[in-house]
This record gives sequence, C-alpha cells and structure tokens, in this order.
Amino acid sequence: MKVLMHPIEIIAWFTCEGVPRPLRFKILYNNRATVIKVDKVIFKTEEKIAGNKMLIFRCQSVIDGRLRDFELKYEYSTCRWFLYKM
Amino acid sequence: MPKQVIFHIDVNSAYLSWEAAYRLQHGAKIDLRNVPSAVGGDSATRHGIILAKSIPAKKFKIKTGETLFSARQKCPTMIIVPPNYELYMKCSNALLKLLKEYSPKIQRFSVDECFMDMTKMDKFWGPPLKVAYEIKERIKKELGFTVSIGISTCKLLAKMASELKKPDGVTTLFLEEIEEKMWPLPVEDLFMVGPATTKKLHSYGIHTIGALAQTDPRFLQNRLKSHGLLIWNYANGRENSPVRENVAFEIKGIGNSTTIAFDIDNLKEAKMVLLSLVETIGGRLRKGGWAARLIAVTFKTSDFRVISHQRKFSTPVDCTNIIYQRVEELFSECWNGEHLRHLGVKVGELCTNDFTQLSLFNWNQERLRKLDKTVDRIRKKYGAKALIRSSFLHSGISPLSGGIIEDYPLMSSIL
Repeated sequence: MKVLMHPIEIIAWFTCEGVPRPLRFKILYNNRATVIKVDKVIFKTEEKIAGNKMLIFRCQSVIDGRLRDFELKYEYSTCRWFLYKM
Repeated sequence: MPKQVIFHIDVNSAYLSWEAAYRLQHGAKIDLRNVPSAVGGDSATRHGIILAKSIPAKKFKIKTGETLFSARQKCPTMIIVPPNYELYMKCSNALLKLLKEYSPKIQRFSVDECFMDMTKMDKFWGPPLKVAYEIKERIKKELGFTVSIGISTCKLLAKMASELKKPDGVTTLFLEEIEEKMWPLPVEDLFMVGPATTKKLHSYGIHTIGALAQTDPRFLQNRLKSHGLLIWNYANGRENSPVRENVAFEIKGIGNSTTIAFDIDNLKEAKMVLLSLVETIGGRLRKGGWAARLIAVTFKTSDFRVISHQRKFSTPVDCTNIIYQRVEELFSECWNGEHLRHLGVKVGELCTNDFTQLSLFNWNQERLRKLDKTVDRIRKKYGAKALIRSSFLHSGISPLSGGIIEDYPLMSSIL
C-alpha cells in the first residue's frame, strides 16, 4: 500500500458513543469520479501523533473486480476524512 | 526525609519535531527532522528569524535566532516552515496528559519542558531509570516525537541531566555524579548563567562549572551579589524548590511589542501602532483586575538602536484611552523622527483596580472605565476584532497587536 492522504467525500454513520463507521466514499479513479462501497472494516486503531487524534480504519472492498485493502483516516479536530493508504 | 526523585522531560527541537510529526501524520513524504529544515517567521512581514532547527541544519552552522536571510545563504536548500502555536499547545497538552499517568505532581516549565515528581513512585512503576525509558519510548511511539529525560534528586540537576544526552536519551545526574558529569562542562551551560554573567566569570578566570563550584562563595557574592551565590549553589548541585503543580507567579508588569512589516517614518502611523499595542495591554490589564502606575515605551530604529523611556505617574490607571495619552506623551519626548521597525509598550507597578485613586484631572475616568468594560465584554463575546477603532480602517495597521495566544506557557527563570 502507498501513502496517498487524499481528502475524500464520504458517507459514514456514527454510533451513540460518537464512533464513526465509513460506508462509502468518492475518489477520482482513472480520471473519473468513482464511488467505492466499504465492504468490510478489518480493524480500527486510534493514533494521537503530535497530540492530534485520528482514527484509522483498515478496510476491504472490491474495486474494478479486484479485492483491495486500503486505509481511511478520520481527523477529530477538523471532522475530515482521508484516503490514507491504498 | 526520603530522597526525592525528579524527572525533567525536554522535547528535542520541539517546534520542529512537532511540525515534522504533524506533517508525517498528514502523509508528508519527508521527515523534516532528517533534512536541513527550520521553523521560522515570515520574512515578508520581517518576523524572519529561526525559531528551531533540525539536526542536519546544525551542520550548516545555523543558529536559533539568526535571520532567515543569513540561514538561506548558509544553506539554500533549507526548508523553512512557519510556526503554528496552536499545534504546539496541542502537543504540549498531549505530553502532559501522558505524563499524568505516571505521577500526579507535574510542573509545566515551558511549552516543551516538564518537571515530574517521581518520589516513592518506584512502588508502582519500578526503578526510575526503567520508567524513564518506558515514558520516553511511549512518547516516541504514541506522540511521534523524541524527548530527553534527566533524572536526579532536585529540579536543577534533573534539568542539567536532560541536556547531557540529546536527542532521545535518558541520563541520571545525582549529587555524587556531578563532579564527573557536570563539572567539566563550560560555565555558560549552567542554568541561570547567561551571556553577561559568562563574560564576567571568564574575566575572573572561571571557565568551567567545576571551577565555579570551587570558587570561594564570598568572592562571588562580593562581585555578583546574590546572583553569585545562587549560581555557586547551582554549580554545587544545591537547589531545593518543589515541583509546583500550579505555577502562578506574581505578575510584575505587562508588555506588548511588535515588529512592523515596513519602516515607520511619520508620527501618525507610529501613534497608530502604539494605540494598537495599548488596546491589547488595556484588555490584559483589566482581565487580570490590575491598574498600572508605571508606563514605558520602547522602540527599535531601522539601524537596530533601541531607545526606551518610562515614567511613574501619580495615579494608577487601567483605561485604554488614558494609558494611550501617557504613552503618546512619553513617545513624543523621546522620538526624533528616526525610522522605526519595532515598537513596544510596557506597564508596571501594578495594583488592583477595584479601588483606585481618582485624579482631579481625569474627570471622565469613570465614564471611560464603563466604556472599556463594555468594549471588553463585546470582544469577549464576539471576538477580539468585533469592535475596532475606525481610525484603523483601510490603514494596513492591525487594530490590536502584540501578544501571543492565550495561556501559552513561556519559560521562566524561576525553577
């Protein structure tokens, strides 16, 4: 997986405790906007590098007929989502 | 009394490592710590000095405090990033939160330095050296930056110890080790020995901390007064201040200053900058419930000469307008039309502002105080720039200047 750190548009749901779960997101793939459905969240970790809290989701989806792993990041302080690695 | 155990935790190249860690978290390809880089102000607005530098930048003999221009001459490929004080506060708070898991008694000495009282904590965490390594590794792994930890029985020696091994080190400096580890160091490395004292000590033939420790204290007291005795005690590892959890020192004065993006050559603009400084000082005075008697004006000319002028007035004040009148008076007495690059205002001799001596000549003081109170309330509710003086409109001069973000911990000379 390569580090990309692209900001993304996303649909996610939040539990009553405020924990998000990504559902689908939009990226530019082969020069066209593609919506990727998050099929499975394999695991979730939290990091607080430089005191900045972020949630990291290791996910799995079928993209272009291939099963691919990727990581999404959620930044608490700005409420932004990123495609971290793919 | 049981022996105290004090840790001093010092973040290595704090501003730079915090910026580097933050950038890596946001997908940066290079680690600023591994290339010649520095945190510096904006040279366009002439806030252009190096605040922190990476270890590879040190190889180019780049020093903290030198101008960005001269740093770029020494190393043209150097990466310079702007400071981000909010990030530094965040990092500092995260560090404090992590340290609080180990001891309830922690003193934040500055934004990047903490003292920790670990006395009797071996019951919970094991020997001090082991826990220090554990803390250091956790900070590196969880927060993404490195620290140096000094361990000793007092705050001074712990601070000196953390200076010994940088970056990413743990060092002990107990009383029995000072002769071997601290005494061979040059005298200017000792806490509280600044450039002026160093010069004097060198002239007495004292070049190392060991030589200072072995000098007759009466000689030092005679020459350097109480400060001589203080540094002699420090050189011998004698210091016993407690780890203060809430550091609240008595405020002696409030000052603000600013470097202007262009040279000022006319009275009108100079007065506007002074007014913008007084606006922030007035707000800070009233927030703390103070009134000041002593008012001082300082300026730096374009050829870097510093001139200051102060006066003690008969009545203490906290009104922006009256302080400004006095500042204006002082400034016109000492300015001869030189080109200005830096202006500063300072107030001192503070007393509480609940009962103040009224002056016969400031007949409208009560009305002004009411006005200030309203302005402060509006600014608190809607932001500092919600209400500004119309004279600043389209002037290019900030209506409020000087000062740093609220509650930013600065280093003190008091341990």
